[in-house]
Amino acid sequence: MAKPTTSLRTYALTRLALVLPMLWILLTLVFFMMRVAPGDPVTAALGGRLPEQELQQRRHAAGYDKPLIVQYVDYLGNVARLNFGTTITDDRPVTDVIIENGSATLELTFWAMVVALSVGIGLGLLAGRLRDSGADVSIRMFGIVVYAMPAFFLGFLAQLLFGERLGWLPTSGRASPEVQFLLPTHTHLYLIDAIIYGDWATFKDVVLHLILPAATLGLIIAGVLIRLVRVNVLQTMKGDYIEAARARGIDEKSVVYRHAFKNALVPVVTVLGLQVALLMSGAVLTETTFNWPGIGFELVRYLNNRDYIAVQGIITFFALIVIFISLLIDFVNAWIDPRVRY
Amino acid sequence: MRTRTSRGLRLFVLAAAVVALAAGCGSSSGSSSGGSGGGGGNSDATIIMGTTDTAIHFDPANAYDLHSWNIIYNVYDELMTIPPGGNKPVPSLATSCGWDDPKTYTCHLRSGVKFQNGDPLTSKDVEFSFQRSIVINGDQGACYLFSSLATCGKWKGNEISTPDPQTVTFHLTQPDATWPFILATGAAAIVPSSVYPATKLQPDDQPIGTGPYKLVKYQPGVQTVLERNDAYWGTPAKNARVLIQYYKDTPSLKLAIQGGDVDIAFRNLTPTDISSLRGQSGLQVVEGQGIEIRYLVFNVKLPPSDQLAVRRSIAYLIDRQSIAHNVYNDTVQPLYSMVPAGLFGHIDSYKTEYGATPNPDLAKKELTDAGINTPVPITIWWTPTHYGGGSADEYTEIKRELEGSGLFKVTLKSEEWDQYAVDRGKDIFPAFQLGWFPDYPDADDYSAYFYPNGGFWNGHYDNPQIDKAIDQEKASTDPSVREAAFAKIQTLAAKDAPTIPIWQGKQIAVVRDGVSGVQETFDPAYIFRFWLISKT
Repeated sequence: MAKPTTSLRTYALTRLALVLPMLWILLTLVFFMMRVAPGDPVTAALGGRLPEQELQQRRHAAGYDKPLIVQYVDYLGNVARLNFGTTITDDRPVTDVIIENGSATLELTFWAMVVALSVGIGLGLLAGRLRDSGADVSIRMFGIVVYAMPAFFLGFLAQLLFGERLGWLPTSGRASPEVQFLLPTHTHLYLIDAIIYGDWATFKDVVLHLILPAATLGLIIAGVLIRLVRVNVLQTMKGDYIEAARARGIDEKSVVYRHAFKNALVPVVTVLGLQVALLMSGAVLTETTFNWPGIGFELVRYLNNRDYIAVQGIITFFALIVIFISLLIDFVNAWIDPRVRY
Repeated sequence: MRTRTSRGLRLFVLAAAVVALAAGCGSSSGSSSGGSGGGGGNSDATIIMGTTDTAIHFDPANAYDLHSWNIIYNVYDELMTIPPGGNKPVPSLATSCGWDDPKTYTCHLRSGVKFQNGDPLTSKDVEFSFQRSIVINGDQGACYLFSSLATCGKWKGNEISTPDPQTVTFHLTQPDATWPFILATGAAAIVPSSVYPATKLQPDDQPIGTGPYKLVKYQPGVQTVLERNDAYWGTPAKNARVLIQYYKDTPSLKLAIQGGDVDIAFRNLTPTDISSLRGQSGLQVVEGQGIEIRYLVFNVKLPPSDQLAVRRSIAYLIDRQSIAHNVYNDTVQPLYSMVPAGLFGHIDSYKTEYGATPNPDLAKKELTDAGINTPVPITIWWTPTHYGGGSADEYTEIKRELEGSGLFKVTLKSEEWDQYAVDRGKDIFPAFQLGWFPDYPDADDYSAYFYPNGGFWNGHYDNPQIDKAIDQEKASTDPSVREAAFAKIQTLAAKDAPTIPIWQGKQIAVVRDGVSGVQETFDPAYIFRFWLISKT
């Protein structure tokens, strides 16, 4: 007799319970990796100016020489209270960094996803439909190249071509310096703020600044999607229900567009969730290349300054997002597919 | 379900269309990428400066980096200042300052000066400013510059007296001729006692000073905006607003100045960038005197640097002109003393001792006379990014020069700054790269931190004659006494070569046509005086 499967509720609760150890392992890793890495905020800032004794005094006064276990317990206690602390180097509450710079990343990643979906699904469907044709080979090649190309390299090429050579698009920042100054920030999402501001010149300036970074990051994600969508189209085209549709005399266009493509996209939705982590790591590189003041950009800056508190806070935030999205995808999967149970 | 999927696809298509539309907008208007409106005459202009520097703090109690100090110089005032083109302090918020005796320094304040919040400046504000800097003792601050006044973190209460609202007297613990210079640094900026917390830092987006600009916006890592202080007590700024735009790296900054996004690119374009921008239409490269230096330090406890002949032999072999020209495209100049050219008291002591160009014969003689077998193996340490991207080429060139003589076998080793800054104090580097940026434009800043007690870098070199000369120059306000003391320090140091000066940097900015005043602010004080910049 087959063992009865557990309920969806049990699965969801178990999956939820697993989040805590996952988060704890991640936080612990981040904490100790930051401490094992050489340097501290005082040395990073003043190591070339002060005698060693003076540096040590300052490290002591700031508490950087406290026993690791004490620092670790303090850290976990603060995270448990959702208190990410205040950055060491510039005294900003980490929550402010997450809100202000996170909004810039959200704006970038949203539009990058739009580009990724438009290009990835569009070209993937086309390649699947035109299997083994010249177009299929070109699209596959394109997918491999954009996926394999590092974000900073693709971004740099785009800057050279569209910024320096052609002069069509701005190459850095979220807006021109004066627009950035004058634009009132309500949501920290510049496109929305520009709409609220009601100034179309400002809106246009923001859109122009968004194109290259969003396209760069989006194309990299699109590289994965192209191949995934193509494979799914090929598989669905072999499905019995497609044969049946053809046998019933439904015209080929309807078979492909209404039956095959629609079903080919179902697994893509699941994979999209997993792309969030890729999107986040890609955002760090893209933001650095395009001087985009997102959370990845700040992460690099704080890493360079050995600002433990800021780095820990930002990475914890990244981790929470990835864990939340993974959880969501698992729930959706389990809901759709009854075989997915513990 | 069908409807939902179709709607989703339509959304994607719509989104793609928006992107395409935006791209279309870009192509049609891209040629007007100048970006900055500015507009109007000089006094209404907005100046946009791009930089890869980052701001740390705008509270004088916790700032000790060039960019933060430059914002402080423009928002606050100090009792003394270095005037444009000068290298000696003159009264600023004070009308006069002078020595009552070698340990007592009195300043009389300018009357009618108000802070940007409307409060009048009094001597109590001056006392409060120094007291809070010393009490707060910020871990990224420059409190130790006030060591002649008090020990950081400890305020006894008798360090400063304020007999009336317009008079301030500093009671130093030891004679210190550099005190007027220290009063001109960003660390000595005056803050309002009615607003600033006595034991905590003021938020960086709310600085209040008496300076020519008010800070109106600060987005860390993105932008700082200054607007002219119309109630300023001095000559008003030549522009209405300054936008400082922060760039992560030099390629972005270079593209920004080329594309017209910024009017001025100041720090830190690479020598290659500067060469490629030189002569481009619409741009000018402005150069000025700089006193930032790079040098090689020997740990005189570790072999082979513990042998005088080895250090002197290396001093004979280093070709500074080749480094300045081939590595840095002449954006730096050869340095023949630890005190850079342009400062009072500078002499080319290494040129006198070892010549302007390499001399392999005398280098060999030093080693032969000392009975040292050649080639001498030596490990030289350097750090890849902290002192600029040219460091790798610079030290490869030094290795080439030393090995080219047949007298040395050089092993180059490098570490990133975070580890390097820790290891340099641990007696494991026999020879290593360092650099120095001035706190104040006086030769004392290039002597007092370098030689007593083995130098701040822990190189163990000790010369009582140099220590005595430093005491003399610190204690005397007589220029001739100080000049003689500095000459002695430089001459003795050149003979013993505990360090080898290599180059001193120039201040370089790239500006767009129509921008003027940058040249006027480039002097050894390293104060970027935005109030002098104008744009047509």
